[in-house]
Amino acid sequence: MAEISQDSGGKGGKKRSKKASTKIDMTPMVDLGFLLITFFMLTTTLAKPVTMQLNMPDKNDDSKETSPVKMSETLTICPDSSKVYFYQGIPGEAGVVVETADYSDKGIRQTLFDFKKRIGANFTIVIKATKSAKYKNMVDLLDECAITDNKRYAILEIDPATESMIKKSGK
Amino acid sequence: MPKVKAKRQSVSLDMTAMCDVAFLLLTFFMLTAKFKPEEAVTITPPTSISEKPLKNDKGVITISVSNDGKIFMGTDDVDARALMLERMANRFSVPVSATMQKNFMDSEFIGYPAGAMAQVLQKKSKEWKADGFLKGIPCDSANNELYLWVSYAKIANPALTVAIKGDGNANYKVFNQVVGTLQQQNINVFQLITGAEAKPRNVN
Repeated sequence: MAEISQDSGGKGGKKRSKKASTKIDMTPMVDLGFLLITFFMLTTTLAKPVTMQLNMPDKNDDSKETSPVKMSETLTICPDSSKVYFYQGIPGEAGVVVETADYSDKGIRQTLFDFKKRIGANFTIVIKATKSAKYKNMVDLLDECAITDNKRYAILEIDPATESMIKKSGK
Repeated sequence: MPKVKAKRQSVSLDMTAMCDVAFLLLTFFMLTAKFKPEEAVTITPPTSISEKPLKNDKGVITISVSNDGKIFMGTDDVDARALMLERMANRFSVPVSATMQKNFMDSEFIGYPAGAMAQVLQKKSKEWKADGFLKGIPCDSANNELYLWVSYAKIANPALTVAIKGDGNANYKVFNQVVGTLQQQNINVFQLITGAEAKPRNVN
């Protein structure tokens, strides 16, 4: 690249005694050096793990510092392996409808935005993962809570009433 | 008109200095780079938009959940590891030889039932996987060894924080078990290790 051979195409003509040069072409060496540097720099920055902090309530803490949450301000979401079920109200009561959304940004994210806009600052999300949910689904939902800027959420275990209601809805 | 002889410029330039810099940088990056910590199994964590780096200045217990639901545990605190082995061996009345102690300290993770410790620790940690010893730590209500390991680690160093690294395809039930186990001993703050993901732009 940097050094162009001056006597190209000798075609077997004159024979010149070659003077041995003390310089060597270092271009490939430099190329290799920078290639490796680039590689190391890219791999070291990409492998940095990030963490998501999860705070769970203290199980042994019986203090009465809990604030009641209105059912009308609560949305229960149940992540499943491919979709999310959500409903408002107490499972089993009349008028409680199970709806579904997917994990795309037009799915559960839009739903959360809509509910947040309608309900306001007291909007609380209850997450009850179904039995077939993957860990990924849970993290995705926690992520959606962060994206939609909802800080009031709780993770609960799924109860039989919710399970049977989801099953009955057939979605 | 006399022939103007164009002075031929040399096209080769001295690259020694450049080469020096390149290799200096290369050496620097190679020496400062930390090796990826040894892992029992390959775990692909899910991605999240979180940007917090892992806090590990005071030591961290990493609990890994593989995609088939096996639980592994490790800590970077060497003193805690020594104490964990001592107490666990005591509890399950497993005599610990010097070889076993060395093999235990050489590996960064625990991933076998305590009952099999006598057999597993006779071999080097590199051979565990091939020999099928990595069955995971039992963590059910009847036999909750994860609880014991974590509590012993916490006795050695109460400042240890807990990080959970789960495979994206692990069942949520296992994750729930792990969190439940830790909550029993009043650990309520977890760091979920995730991969990085770009923040969505069109957030209204």
